[in-house]
Amino acid sequence: MGRNESAPADFPPLVISQRENNALRIAALNEQAELLGLKPGMGIADARAMYPGIEVMEADPDADRQLLESLADWCDRFTPLVALDGRDGLFLDISGCSHLFGGEDAMLAEIIRRLTQQGFDIRAALASTPGMAWASARHSHSRDRNVPAGQEEQTLAPMPLAALRLEEKTRTGLERVGLRYVGALIDAPRAPLARRFGRMLVTRLDQALGVVEEAISPRLPVSPLSAERQLAEPIGTTEEIERLILILARTLKPDLERRGEGARRLLLSLFRVDGVVARIVVGTSRPLREPTTIAKLLYERLAALEGSLDPGYGFDMVRLSIAVAAPFEMEQTDLAEGTSIAEEEFSLLADRIRARLGEEAVLVPALAESHLPERRARFVSSGKEIARPTRTSQPMAGGRPIRLLEKPEPVEASAEVPEGPPLSFRWRRALYRVARAEGPERIAPEWWREEKPGQTRDYFRVEDMDGRRYWLYREGLYGEQTAPRWFLHGFFP
Amino acid sequence: MTAVPAYAEFGVQSNFSFLRGASRPEALVITARLFDFSAVGLADRNSVAGVVRAWVQSKHIKLTEDSEPTRIPYHPGCRLVFSDGTPDVLAYPQDRQGWAHLCRMLTAANERGEKGNPDLHIEDFLEWGDHMSLAILPDFRKSAEDTLALLRSLKNRFGRNLRLAVSPSYGGDDHWRLAQAAGMAAAAGLSLMATNDVLYHAAEQRPLQDILTAIRLNTTISEAGFALEANAERHMKPREEMARLFRHYPEALTETLRFAESLTFSLGELKHNYPDEVSESGLPAQEELARLAWEGARERFPDGVPEAQRELIHKELALIERQNYARYFLTVYDIMRFARSQGILCQGRGSAANSLICYCLRITDVGPDIMDHLLERFISEERGEPPDIDVDFEHQRREEVIAYIYKKYGHKRTALAASVISYRGRLALREVAKVLGLSEDVTSALSGSVWGWSSEEVGETATKAAGLDKTDPKTKQLVELVNGIMGFPRHLSQHVGGFVITKDRLDEIVPIVKTAMEERKMVEWDKDDLDNVGLLKVDVLALGMLSCLQRAFGLLEEKYDVRDDYGRPLELATIPPEQKPVYDMISRADTIGVFQVESRAQMSMLPRLKPKEFYDLVIEVAIVRPGPIQGDMVHPYLKRREEKEKPEYVRPELKAILKKTLGVPLFQEQAMKIAIVAGGFKPAEADRLRRAMATFKRTGSVTDYRQKLIKGMEENGYPREFAERCFRQIEGFGEYGFPESHAASFALLVYASAWFKTYYPDVFCAAILNSQPMGFYAPAQIVRDAREHGVEIREVDINSSEWDCILEEAPFDPARVAAQHADMRSIIETKHAVRLGFRQVKGLAEADMKQLVLNRGAGYRSVRDLWLRSGLSRSVLARLADADAFRSLGLDRRTALWAVQALDGTCATERLPLLDRPEIGLTEHEPEMKLPSMPLSMHVVHDYQSLSLSLKAHPVSFLRDQLAAEKITPNARLQNVSNGRRVSVAGLVLIRQRPGTAKNVIFMTIEDETGVANIVVWDRMFKRFRPQVMGARFVRVDGKLQSASGVIHVVAERITDLSARLGTLMKERQEQDQLARRKEIAGIEGTTCISSSGTSPGREAVQPEEAGAAQSAAVARVMPKGRNFH
Repeated sequence: MGRNESAPADFPPLVISQRENNALRIAALNEQAELLGLKPGMGIADARAMYPGIEVMEADPDADRQLLESLADWCDRFTPLVALDGRDGLFLDISGCSHLFGGEDAMLAEIIRRLTQQGFDIRAALASTPGMAWASARHSHSRDRNVPAGQEEQTLAPMPLAALRLEEKTRTGLERVGLRYVGALIDAPRAPLARRFGRMLVTRLDQALGVVEEAISPRLPVSPLSAERQLAEPIGTTEEIERLILILARTLKPDLERRGEGARRLLLSLFRVDGVVARIVVGTSRPLREPTTIAKLLYERLAALEGSLDPGYGFDMVRLSIAVAAPFEMEQTDLAEGTSIAEEEFSLLADRIRARLGEEAVLVPALAESHLPERRARFVSSGKEIARPTRTSQPMAGGRPIRLLEKPEPVEASAEVPEGPPLSFRWRRALYRVARAEGPERIAPEWWREEKPGQTRDYFRVEDMDGRRYWLYREGLYGEQTAPRWFLHGFFP
Repeated sequence: MTAVPAYAEFGVQSNFSFLRGASRPEALVITARLFDFSAVGLADRNSVAGVVRAWVQSKHIKLTEDSEPTRIPYHPGCRLVFSDGTPDVLAYPQDRQGWAHLCRMLTAANERGEKGNPDLHIEDFLEWGDHMSLAILPDFRKSAEDTLALLRSLKNRFGRNLRLAVSPSYGGDDHWRLAQAAGMAAAAGLSLMATNDVLYHAAEQRPLQDILTAIRLNTTISEAGFALEANAERHMKPREEMARLFRHYPEALTETLRFAESLTFSLGELKHNYPDEVSESGLPAQEELARLAWEGARERFPDGVPEAQRELIHKELALIERQNYARYFLTVYDIMRFARSQGILCQGRGSAANSLICYCLRITDVGPDIMDHLLERFISEERGEPPDIDVDFEHQRREEVIAYIYKKYGHKRTALAASVISYRGRLALREVAKVLGLSEDVTSALSGSVWGWSSEEVGETATKAAGLDKTDPKTKQLVELVNGIMGFPRHLSQHVGGFVITKDRLDEIVPIVKTAMEERKMVEWDKDDLDNVGLLKVDVLALGMLSCLQRAFGLLEEKYDVRDDYGRPLELATIPPEQKPVYDMISRADTIGVFQVESRAQMSMLPRLKPKEFYDLVIEVAIVRPGPIQGDMVHPYLKRREEKEKPEYVRPELKAILKKTLGVPLFQEQAMKIAIVAGGFKPAEADRLRRAMATFKRTGSVTDYRQKLIKGMEENGYPREFAERCFRQIEGFGEYGFPESHAASFALLVYASAWFKTYYPDVFCAAILNSQPMGFYAPAQIVRDAREHGVEIREVDINSSEWDCILEEAPFDPARVAAQHADMRSIIETKHAVRLGFRQVKGLAEADMKQLVLNRGAGYRSVRDLWLRSGLSRSVLARLADADAFRSLGLDRRTALWAVQALDGTCATERLPLLDRPEIGLTEHEPEMKLPSMPLSMHVVHDYQSLSLSLKAHPVSFLRDQLAAEKITPNARLQNVSNGRRVSVAGLVLIRQRPGTAKNVIFMTIEDETGVANIVVWDRMFKRFRPQVMGARFVRVDGKLQSASGVIHVVAERITDLSARLGTLMKERQEQDQLARRKEIAGIEGTTCISSSGTSPGREAVQPEEAGAAQSAAVARVMPKGRNFH
């Protein structure tokens, strides 16, 4: 399996780089790059020396893994027994399933057709043993091959040793003595082989040939908990689904309680009669187990999806899974029904809004490390864990206002050169006389952020005759500029 | 207007406060002078690594282009940064004693801490803090009571030497800060001292400082947060500004002057701390030196010392006495005497080795008959810098010499010089780009482009190569920052072999630092610093060719018993000189393996230079260097050498200087003499000019000399144009030019190695192979060259080989000598074959193989016997099988490996002895396995894989039929092709070279079974065929043949990558047969075998093609990748 990069023909040669033993090597490449004669395993430096113009992207194994997992999910439609195979393969145990798809060949064709439609360049094979199927898929001449039972030996014989899923060491050991094709092993006496290369070699051979059984290990159920309901009569309306959700949520509650956990992420799978699976994921800000709350969240999501959720001929199975669980903190309600409830309600509200409008719909401020006051805080999605700034807190002890103006407002001020505090300033047409002042706190722009960084600011804490306190700054240094401008940036309580 | 108060700055950190300070020490000192400070200090964090640079600069500051240099009072110091929370202290030694204390304190902290991270405790400070002026920088955010208590206790300990220093921080509370400082100072009875706590010389350096901070914290600049400074205020500020900042505390400014007055120590006090050599005679050093020199002179001149030499020796001795250098020469003499007593080959070079005394002391073998001795070059009297002698030792035995030095002088008196690792092109770029948050791909594209650029400024080429737009502000910023950081020190590392040796405790002269090696210590100063301070330094260097020659002498004595006229074994000095066959061989460019003249550039020069005597070799060594090439001296010299033009000397006095080099200045000495004779320089000035040339990139001071030289020459009646050309040539030497003495020392090795190659190619081949890694060529080429000279080379074998290559008796058959070396048939005196050693096999350990040889007895009888008796593990035996080393047992590598694979994984010695006793001879009851026999071509590939060479055949020979069908000329036949004809050649790519001096051309060397061909790829072609040039291991080149003075090139017009064809070599026999049959049937010819196998169209072809492609890729990887040289 590989992602098909067949974009327009003028798509530049692209290689995916991967770090191996401290050297960047080509992990994968697109057709254009292949046409240049580049090969996987080649050093990126060498490739660049040959073609300085190639585009290089870093491999993202996590993303690849995710993609593979989602494909595995998708393959649930064919059989519940899907296993991941390495970085780029899937095993489907279709025993007893093929008749649902019109027989083995039709099923194989269907799988290939649909994956190809999705833009994947795939190779698939069907055989009576996992080993044989694996070998055929990866080393057969054709992209879709159904190896009839009994023809294993004949099919395997001309294949290279790599078809046997051997350890690298074993394979090279065999190749070095001239045994390069499976056929050479099939004919050979077993004892000398086992003696030199271990039992695994013989086992692999037998597994491929079907002499010994091999079971694939299907992906563990991702969800720690799930409940499902098979329906004799397919359902299609939102109301019906909602009702079922509540029932399933109630089923899950005792399990959650027993584990002392609550749901942090919920997964609702709707299996359509024709095999399409709709999956709805909802995250929560705090662990939940109350069925009605859970149901409410999912309703929001369903409501948001309305229209895009196509029931077709109806869903014949509904499954509700707790995808991520977290310890549920039991809280004693305080007598005054105080803040904790409010906080809980807030987070429920936030969950519901996010469920309906998306992750970025509810933002909360978080501290950030920057000398510039307006960059001291940034907004992050309320669903995210907020990481506290790790390094030392603000270096300066001399307080800053809690409230800043959205935008610093220009004021007219008179001050002593070169860096004295304002003696008086005019803001929104009112004149303020400065009684006391402290400063300057000099803050230079973050030159690495903007193309045209602003100017250095000198901040002053000033108090007017009435004892009100302001935070003012002058933009630009004397000497750099003839008439620096003054701004009001915030207020002290 | 009131006068601006005087001020001196002492809170100064340079970029030797690694990854913190953002200005060079020199820049800080210059700025201090510019601001007219009364004095300036340098106090880097727990280090004095930068103080010498600042000191040198402080003595010589030119404020404008034309003004006379001025000085500024300068004081070396250190910022003590404690690991126990004590606030920082600026520590400045008041006198020599204080300096000793500071060094001891830092040495103790270095000893305790990790490498590069001293661990300083307040106890160290309390112990070693005397004789210093100190200024503490309290942290005002800490509890005032605690601080005050500390201040009081320190005041009790250090009294008036301690001050309290404060700097404005621009954090919004400076008013309070200064008041707090003044208050605390008053309460503790300390004087308040002003500083600006400088991190860089000018505010513009702030981005650079931010970058350094982020690099230090290993983060990106946008993540660095509060670790960055909030503003750009920590630069050196003019006095007016300091006066304004401290307007309420004027006494704090005055205090800086008092602080300066308390300091009398100068780094100049450290010089001439040479060890007292205990002489055999018990004479004082100078007399001992004279005695040894005259004694040596009598040996060097057995027929009596000529008058001229006698006079020179007197002169040199007098100079040495005036400068007090006798002990230095005795030290070097002693080290070399030790090495010789141990049979370690060594040779001195460097400016001092240019003296007659060094010749007499046998420090160098270059005598007065070879070259003039230039006294001024030998020791620069005016600058008072110590002489410079580098000594090369055999690279494999240098450790013994180092151990001797440690033993003799002890760790208290000797340590390695430091070598400052600074940011250069790639590193600078990589780190800056990382900090700016550029992706690793962009970064590696910028820094990884082979032959993009190296240590020069990052410019257009690099950014273009990485596909970045130079006008883009981000790119511009990157380039600016990278150029800003270029040359900044990153950390200290140990110098390869520069030893500092002192009479007094070394750790009272300079702090000693740990190195990566436990037993090695180094000082904080590098070569230049040590030179400038005037400390003794001996370079104990490793030279591969000396190892090779020593081994060659050993083999020669052992196998051929060649002796000199007095019956002594031959040595470097007694090799028969001026042998015509040696020069003939060199003139034919038959120099693979010969020291220095084996590179392509050298080899193409040799047939034109046609060296006939020793001095020609001296010139040859010096001329093919970037300096002379850039100075455009090579061609005039060649023309004159080939007598196509007459040497011209503008004035007769120049003839005396330049006669030996036919009127073309090639050596540093000549440049200096021209400056003296023609330019009117004083000798010491000329030496300064030389030094300026070597470092002119760093200081730019060379332009002063330019004007002076041209003016001087014009005044002496030289045409201006000639004067300018002279200067250009001198400038060209820059960093690359050779002094004559240097070239002469090297030329000796050239002659010696060529002598061996001429007469005893067997000895030469074995000696080179046993000294690997060294030189320009891989073992495969060395072996091939030896075979072409008629030497029989024998395979590695478990029953014959030792770790090293050895010589086995074998008759010499002149007919084996290749046609191109036919002249040598009557000259070569070889009587041995070379048996390759186990060292040639990849992945074998010397200890294992010694064990194998030790237990070999009458020989191993089987794989199992070897396993049982040698006690080696199965994996070692498998390596031997891979190397095809079981032939004496009648096993090829495949059958041997099969037998090895059957052995138990553990070592034989760990098993029950009874069952495994070889004499019991339990027969192996195992069903027989029929393994396919390995075809020869595959053996060759495996030979390359395991040994990097094959004696069985050349890989290309298997493809010859096909190549012949494509009308490709074997390389050896190129000499029969007439000049200008179009030819096609093919071969493995051995070397790609893009000389720094000729940027628009790439030389490729390709090799087939008949020989090598030299390919010239012009830039235009390189652009077109870049992938083939850079990527192919097996290549076809079509182009025009060019032949001049016996040097043949193919000028590439088309380059084709044939690497895929190598896949055929790995086909099993039946596959090869099949292919051949199929080809016959299909009548295909000339296409690649791999694609011909995929005959049917469509999908069925996928598998064989895949396998074939993978196979050829695998074979291609085994073949040499081709080494890239600049």
